Amino acid sequence: MPSIPIIMPQLGESIAEATIVNLLVPVGDQVQTDQDIIEVETSKATMNVASPCPGRVERFLVKLGESYPVGAVLGYLEASPADAARLGLDVVPARNGEESEAGLDPSRRTQTESTHKSVQPTVRGLPVPANAAGASYMSPRMKARMVELGLHAADLAGLPGSGTAGRVTIQDFEKFIANLEQHKLSQASTMRVAVADAMRRSWTRPLATVALPVCFDALLNHRRTCNPKPGPALYALRALALALSENSAPAGRLIGNKIVHPSAIDVGFAVEAEEGVLVPVIRNAEKHRLKDMVKRYDELVELARQRKLPVEATGGSIATVTNFGTFGLTWATPIPLPEQTLVLGMGAARRVPNWDAAKGQFVPVMEANLTLSFDHRVLDGGAAGRLLARVAQLLASPETL
Amino acid sequence: MSVTYLDAIREAQARALADDPRVFIYGQDVGAFGGAFKATKNLAQKFPGRVMDAPISEDAMIGLAVGAAIQGMRPIIEMQFADFSTPGFNQIVNQAATLHWRTRVPCPITVRLPCGGTSGSGPFHSQSMEAIYAHYPGLVVMTPATVEDAYSMLLEAVAIDDPVIFCEHKYLYYHLKAERLPTEAMPTGKARIARPGRDMTLVAYSAMVHEALAVAEELAAEGAELEVVDLRSVKPLDTDTVMASVARTGRLLCVGEAWPWGGVTAEVVARVASEGFGLLDAPPQRLNAKDTPVPYHPNLWAAHRPTARSIAAAARRLLRL
Amino acid sequence: MVHALFNHHAVDEVSSFGDLYVKAYRVMLLARVLDDKFASLYRMGKIHGGVFVGRGQEALSVSLGLALRRGDVFAPLIRDAAGRLAFGEPVLDAVRTYLGSALGPMRARDGNIHRGRPTEGLFVMISHLGAMISVVNGALLAHRLKGIKGTVGATCIGDGGTSTGAFHEGVNQAAVEKLPLVLVVADNQYAYSTPTARQFACGSLLDKAAGYGIEGQPVDGTDLAACLKVVGEAVNRAREGGGPQMVVARLLRLCGHGEHDDASYVDPKLKASPLGQDCLQVAETHLLRSGWADLKALSAWRAETAQRVEESVAKVQREPGPDPYKQDWCALASKRLSEGQEPD
Repeated sequence: MPSIPIIMPQLGESIAEATIVNLLVPVGDQVQTDQDIIEVETSKATMNVASPCPGRVERFLVKLGESYPVGAVLGYLEASPADAARLGLDVVPARNGEESEAGLDPSRRTQTESTHKSVQPTVRGLPVPANAAGASYMSPRMKARMVELGLHAADLAGLPGSGTAGRVTIQDFEKFIANLEQHKLSQASTMRVAVADAMRRSWTRPLATVALPVCFDALLNHRRTCNPKPGPALYALRALALALSENSAPAGRLIGNKIVHPSAIDVGFAVEAEEGVLVPVIRNAEKHRLKDMVKRYDELVELARQRKLPVEATGGSIATVTNFGTFGLTWATPIPLPEQTLVLGMGAARRVPNWDAAKGQFVPVMEANLTLSFDHRVLDGGAAGRLLARVAQLLASPETL
Repeated sequence: MSVTYLDAIREAQARALADDPRVFIYGQDVGAFGGAFKATKNLAQKFPGRVMDAPISEDAMIGLAVGAAIQGMRPIIEMQFADFSTPGFNQIVNQAATLHWRTRVPCPITVRLPCGGTSGSGPFHSQSMEAIYAHYPGLVVMTPATVEDAYSMLLEAVAIDDPVIFCEHKYLYYHLKAERLPTEAMPTGKARIARPGRDMTLVAYSAMVHEALAVAEELAAEGAELEVVDLRSVKPLDTDTVMASVARTGRLLCVGEAWPWGGVTAEVVARVASEGFGLLDAPPQRLNAKDTPVPYHPNLWAAHRPTARSIAAAARRLLRL
Repeated sequence: MVHALFNHHAVDEVSSFGDLYVKAYRVMLLARVLDDKFASLYRMGKIHGGVFVGRGQEALSVSLGLALRRGDVFAPLIRDAAGRLAFGEPVLDAVRTYLGSALGPMRARDGNIHRGRPTEGLFVMISHLGAMISVVNGALLAHRLKGIKGTVGATCIGDGGTSTGAFHEGVNQAAVEKLPLVLVVADNQYAYSTPTARQFACGSLLDKAAGYGIEGQPVDGTDLAACLKVVGEAVNRAREGGGPQMVVARLLRLCGHGEHDDASYVDPKLKASPLGQDCLQVAETHLLRSGWADLKALSAWRAETAQRVEESVAKVQREPGPDPYKQDWCALASKRLSEGQEPD
């Protein structure tokens, strides 16, 4: 026989509980539907709790004079299965109690979200790009902290995130920073930080490199006949200047959908200074013969090494030349300055065998790689190749420079 | 011995009547009957002539309060339900709230509003009115969530020289109990950290504070520590405490039983977003009742307002953002 | 402090009705000249916002103001220039409020007829008609609770204002509480452009008094002598414990709703009827006929009054307006509770 609970009803607005005054029907007696079973008193009035269906009073759970909250089970009725099913009363309705005591009943069950069918206010996610784990989304708090610490997204490249879509949360960030403190730290020089920033900014563009092996014998022979001797980079600088004066488009910059054309063929060259690289500039390099630039070039190199370059000798160049061959390197992919599209590189010359078709044999030649690293948004491999080829051509006749 | 939220309100009024001869209470059924919710039970007998029955005239009730206040009295007006304060809205916002600014004469009235829903009350016995009153300059709006605050903030309301809208929550009247009345109090204008936490700031007021605390308990078992802030008064709103909390946690969820548009939750989110943008690790969130009148049926009513369950879901979503 | 134009205790020393009549007339004259001045300043573009004059209502209004004493409370409405002056409101208060002087009682935070001195018993109206009735009730209740006896609370309203819910609640409340409220209703036939036929269906507004269970008396609003008698007696009855008193005066509004309104909708038949008489002219005629003043006196009073108003206006026009940068921009008396959200 099913046991039907007798529930404390909601007895008035804002009433939370009632006191048991009288049990009107003894245990074991039969009752009809709506028959008064228990007399209770609220702060406003005395009322009766009635039987929900016909049945036999099975037991009471309450004591006289005690208060019980709305929704509490006061006792049980034994009823027939037919009656119980007909009235839909064969389950304990925890619902009523929950709704009227929401939040205050410590025995509430946790519910999984999936059982909650109603429409909840939609919370739009953060604008994290798909599959973009890491610092691609930075919350305002993150940004504020990064400004405080002088950090950029590049500094957080090694930090995967635990937040939504893999973003870096402030907790991830603070843990990361705290963790850094555990390692040996030394101060980076201002120069280092400046170069880091320039390289980071340059790298935001799609960069590519092409290379051309070039025979340097003519250049080297020409150089032996000069006094004073022009630096090898100066040959490349002059050749590049002449090539750009014929067609300056490769050195243009792309801003949005506009190409910004260079106004003067000012070419810079990289000089290694302590902790970084400086780039002095030869102005209007297409207008001066190579031999007339040597003195100025040497001066600039010296000034650069001593970190005494005047302001007017730097900046404003439309391309840069770097002789990484001085480090013995044969191949490199330099990164153009952030404000430039091109950097022409020159590798170390080595004696290599070269096939001489006329002689039908390999002959030894001095060969070096010329590289052109460029902003691929402005020019493609073809234009880059043509520019390199022209530079190589000019370098093959150094007396014309 | 325990004191309910309603007992606290009654005791505060008794104390105000006893301590200050300028205080009187005026409202429907407040005299011999003791008030619809018994908030003034026995007070008419204890303080003869000072607890008076008003006709059903909310406009005139407030007007009368203002006139009495100009003449130096400190009236407490009991609205039978917050929902019925709207016929008196004009007198509250245009007469009482503007008096001091226009004339330099203070208007020390207290208007008690039984607010908030209980199951089955329906659209006109369930409203939370704090936002529209807070919108008008010249009013103080209190929303006590605890028995202690119901007592001490009502005493303070009577003592304040400005019109105070005292939003009592009907559900808390008999459901909320404390062991005793407080002997000290935080001043109005300061929010209370009801539960300290680390992972999220959960701002609430009035009955929602208890839902918020239940949510914090639940989520603690999952390893998340929620900090619950009880605003206590929505005007003035203690921006500093809320901001300091968000500075600790980086995440904000504000919950209100009232409707979303221009409500207290909108105000809290606006302040945190504009003044504490750099403190936020995730967008600030809010949860309110649905934008419809409050429904009658318990099933609808339970789905209409934020509950511990819906707040917990919103909190979990915010934690994962 | 209210500068009493007339010492109200001196009212009791008035040796004759003639003296009272003269006194009343002179206040009416001042009210009329002041109102005319505001109207002309308005047409010159020297006043911001609206101007509301009481042309035609001076007799009724002054009768109420003169019957009140210090200690009473008075909530005048928009056409009560005469009543205010009779109660003791300084001329400069009106001029300063209309001209937006920072030195006015409202400090330019409110304008035109929204002015008063609440702590001195002169309540400041809000624009919602009927709302002041319950405020006066509250003041009277406060007197009762404090044991202050013998005071009266008075307020004025028009035919239109009697339609509001606030009117209904306020009068009913005064009746239930048996407060010494004196309600003077100026039935001037129009609420803005709405004639009384569209305002109420009862035969007379006096019927409403019966409905509330209070006493009501009619009076010819164009006749100063009748107004002084009927209004004075109503105030006395209230003062002596007779409960709320309603006086319904019939007259015609002799101006637009505001000075922006030309009142072209007013029925010319009404203008031509006895109801359309100008109470000021009626009073002048009566003064001359009763021998209480001669033409020379009238002329002198007119000149003196015009001079006084000119001087007041000239003085106030030299006063500064409010400085928005020096305001506290705080609506609460309790500064510590104000939020001061907006950045400067």
